[in-house]
Amino acid sequence: MTKLQAKNIVKHFDHNGTSVVALDGINLNVEEGDFICIVGPSGCGKSTFLNIVAGLEKPDSGEILLNGNPISTPGPDRTMVFQEGALFPWLKVIDNVEFGLKMSGIPKDERREISQRYLDMMQLTKFADSYVYQLSTGMKQRVAIARALAMDPEILLMDEPFAALDSQTRDLLLVELQLIWERTKKTIIFVTHNISESVILGNKVEVFKNRPSKIKKEILIDYRRPRLAEDENLQKYYHQILDELKSEVIARTKDDAQ
Amino acid sequence: MTGNIPLKSRGNIEDAANAALLISVFIGVWQIIFMLGIWPQISLPSPATVAQTFAKIILNGSLPQSVGITLARLLGAFAVSITLGTLIGFTMIKFKGFGKTLNSFSAGLLSFPSIAWVPFSILLIGFDEFGIMFVVVMSSIFSIMISTYSSIRNIPTIYIDAAKNMGAQGVMLFRHVTIPAATPSLIIGLRQAWSFAWHAIIGAEILMSIVGLGHILSVGREFLDMSQVIASMITIFAIGLLVDRFVLQKLEDRIRKKWGLDNHR
Repeated sequence: MTKLQAKNIVKHFDHNGTSVVALDGINLNVEEGDFICIVGPSGCGKSTFLNIVAGLEKPDSGEILLNGNPISTPGPDRTMVFQEGALFPWLKVIDNVEFGLKMSGIPKDERREISQRYLDMMQLTKFADSYVYQLSTGMKQRVAIARALAMDPEILLMDEPFAALDSQTRDLLLVELQLIWERTKKTIIFVTHNISESVILGNKVEVFKNRPSKIKKEILIDYRRPRLAEDENLQKYYHQILDELKSEVIARTKDDAQ
Repeated sequence: MTGNIPLKSRGNIEDAANAALLISVFIGVWQIIFMLGIWPQISLPSPATVAQTFAKIILNGSLPQSVGITLARLLGAFAVSITLGTLIGFTMIKFKGFGKTLNSFSAGLLSFPSIAWVPFSILLIGFDEFGIMFVVVMSSIFSIMISTYSSIRNIPTIYIDAAKNMGAQGVMLFRHVTIPAATPSLIIGLRQAWSFAWHAIIGAEILMSIVGLGHILSVGREFLDMSQVIASMITIFAIGLLVDRFVLQKLEDRIRKKWGLDNHR
């Protein structure tokens, strides 16, 4: 079943008075239970696309359909894990996880129970009463994931959530995220500029073309899980994506030089 | 041995010791200058004389009464200032063009001397409580307005995005995200406004009042009683310091600690 559909999404940006095409007709079908990775050179508009899906930005034309219904505003059915975590420093860890549930008007006891469950899942039980500054970057991202999952969204949006992590923590979270995906059967769209991340996580990898960006190629990765970073069999996918991206990065560098 | 004393109270003891040292040095220097006899005693009394005056005006009730009246006026006016200033600040956020213009005007009025409101207030309202409070409100409200406006405008968009993403909107967004996210910066504005209000009340009382701290200060001058002038000044200094240190700064420290804002090395 098609969960989410992006139809011909176009977005312009105003750059020093001239209009720059950021997204030039993005079409994407996301099936229920898909783990989609969007990979592309930095500045290619992949985060913009994700923000449009989240409803935080509006496209100039085109539409996003969730379960067949057009959406235009942000909503808890599409929760986002931001690159910087975006946790609230004035709330305890558990209150951060409960935040969305509170906004939805879910009673206190039920909120506690749900947030406790996701904190357990992310191995954060002991830190329920900590404040955000007391956590490491990796723990913050785990809280952010717990917070997004606690909303039980139709679709989970992740915007380079592991970009700021050290490689050991990242490898650990890459495995954890796959386990969570298998357990919760969530539909996920994961944006990254890191090719290996996309290969490890995605069952479909969408390679974005440079500005004006379009989807250049979709690569299916049918391979057992949990996939590990050091698995050599993943190399061929890695190179396939790298080949697609190489020309984009070169084009981009030329662009910037002018 | 000091290992048994918790870190926090050890810090407090150290602070108290430093403060005591500073005060002793101040009184010592004062005593020396007094003994040098540069000024006649009537112009510069000794620390002991001022202490006697202190005891006298405390025991006859005039000092406690003045402090009480001044603080009551101040708190009343400050409450008005916070309430109105915050509401206007919110309106400035809501209507962007209005906010921008008013922000520039308020910045001009921020550096406007509080004393300069006194003649206006006397003619408009009169020599009464409300006249004094008006000066205090006018001296502190712009600081509250500007701080409300800029604190909210400077909230990182990521907090608002994240909150909207989780379904927060309208009043809920405002109450659970906008206000707490702006709080550390709001507190700084509050401290600044408090210090403006404190300047204003003393100035206004000197010129407009027949009771209050500013009044006993000016009475000291009229009766050539320098020891009463100094005793009043010390009281004004002490109250300003105590409120800032033990109320406003405590509040700010608590919020900064919770946010982890003091953890950078």
